[in-house]
Amino acid sequence: MKKLLALASLILTLAFVLSACGTDTASASTPTPTATPVSASNSTTDSTPEPAPEPQVSNFDTSKNISIVAREDGSGTKSAFMEIIGLKGKADPANVIIQTGTAGVLAEVKSNPAAIAYESLGYVTADVKMLDVDGVEATVANIQNDTYKISRPLSIVYQESTLENEVNAAFYAFLQSSDAQDIISEEGYVSIANNASPYTINGSLSGTIDISGSTSLQPLMIELEAAFKVLQPNVTVNVSGGGSGTGYKNADEGVSEFGMISEVFSLEKAPSCTHYIVAKDGIAVIVNGDNPLGNITMDELKNIYDEETTDVLKWDSLIK
Amino acid sequence: MRGLFLFCAGFSVLALGCICVFLFASGVPFIGKVGLGNFFGTKWHLNSEAYGILSMIVASLYLTALSTIIGVAVGLLTAVSLYKFCPKNAVAPIRQLINLLAGIPSVIYGLFGLIIIVPFLRDKISPNGIGYGLLAASLVVSIMILPTIVSVSLDALNAVPKAYYEGALALGATNEQSVFRVMLPAAKSGILAAVVLSIGRAIGETMAVIMVIGGSPVMPKSLFQSVRTMTANIAMGATELSGDAATALVSTGVVLFFFTLLLNMSFSLLKGGEKRGKPQKTNT
Repeated sequence: MKKLLALASLILTLAFVLSACGTDTASASTPTPTATPVSASNSTTDSTPEPAPEPQVSNFDTSKNISIVAREDGSGTKSAFMEIIGLKGKADPANVIIQTGTAGVLAEVKSNPAAIAYESLGYVTADVKMLDVDGVEATVANIQNDTYKISRPLSIVYQESTLENEVNAAFYAFLQSSDAQDIISEEGYVSIANNASPYTINGSLSGTIDISGSTSLQPLMIELEAAFKVLQPNVTVNVSGGGSGTGYKNADEGVSEFGMISEVFSLEKAPSCTHYIVAKDGIAVIVNGDNPLGNITMDELKNIYDEETTDVLKWDSLIK
Repeated sequence: MRGLFLFCAGFSVLALGCICVFLFASGVPFIGKVGLGNFFGTKWHLNSEAYGILSMIVASLYLTALSTIIGVAVGLLTAVSLYKFCPKNAVAPIRQLINLLAGIPSVIYGLFGLIIIVPFLRDKISPNGIGYGLLAASLVVSIMILPTIVSVSLDALNAVPKAYYEGALALGATNEQSVFRVMLPAAKSGILAAVVLSIGRAIGETMAVIMVIGGSPVMPKSLFQSVRTMTANIAMGATELSGDAATALVSTGVVLFFFTLLLNMSFSLLKGGEKRGKPQKTNT
């Protein structure tokens, strides 16, 4: 009896060894001959009744709980998403599954039929399904013309007189150039300048530009700064954070040449300034490819991601 | 030459010292600053300055307990099987294979859990459609601790004098009875050491756990619920957070450090006990 038990556990351990090896090298699965016929016969008996009761086109089970997928605290995508759907500063709902990167979010939505998640539009791949929000499809065009709701402009604010300085004017021209638009698209943001022309290098240019403000725009601005440095090696661009409030204030008071903001420009916050939209940040709501849902409203999204929603939500509350 | 050896010896001590200083210098004052009530509370919400890690401590302990129970049950029986019940010429290759488990990087275990265990639990077993959680993580970690348990407890069994086994047989005990009633109790302290070692590995495991635990900072109420362990908390936030939130992670590290310290101390106590008091008892 005990001998059998001990032998069984030995086989189990070996199975672990082999299965772990299998994922490691994607080979070496020939041994454990006793296990294969058993599992094979099991799966045949299990699978025979399955196809019968499901004659519909989709085999999506709407009685399943919604698996809410979110990003970790500190993620720029997360704070942007929560702010836009009206949950700024709130925590995640209790049953949330946290993925620490774009790839993790996409992998989870791809493999879990009941998942819902959000991701920067530029990173969404074809193997997951993007939902329309309030009836508007998440496309670059709809973000450019402001009809898609989960997006926000990332702008620089500056005083008109700033551009009289040729170093500042050169950087401003660079932001509008096709060189900058390529970086913007590559980083997963939405470029809003169509038909941009390449930047023309001015060899004699040298100086320093100070940019500060929104931490949402900061990572993109750092990439842009690095590219600008290659084109204009004698110009130093300092990019620092501080938040949109700091961006307005520093531009208005002339502390920084450009301030960065991640909201719609408000003249009241910086009366002496004007603005230029560098790019837009579009966030797609994604579900598994088998999910029949096509559209979601902002209220439904807010309800799903609100920490105060205590009921467990099922897909049939969204799919009628 | 002597100086070089001394330096090498000193280096590891220095590294330990540096880590301790770093942990305690920034971690402990932070706990004082936010208050014990906040820090050992149940609410982790960075935007409202709530840094409660109690739910993560509980999740870490649950994970450790569950994975150790599974791992020890399977591992100990494996060791017994290798010790007496397995064909003699199969023992060495099987040991090698099990030791191979110890060499697999933990991220591979995580991947295995994420791709095989989580979807399996989600689709076949879980009552609420969530595959992430304590059960998935415990299964993954229990596989990871198997090699430790098997090799340490097998060594402990082999260290027991053969005469015990033969004596038991001579008194009329069957093969099973002599192994389970005589040999196992005689190897008790070595087996306990294996258990403590594997607990240490289970509580500190990070990468594989992160991939299958879910990550929601709530009190664990079910095996199929997204929760967060202390190690996962640190690793998830370490590259993204700054300011007070980052310091909170260091403080989480202090708590984790205490748990591992406790384990190490109990391990050395057990080892000490083994040296002094092994050959007396034979039971029956």
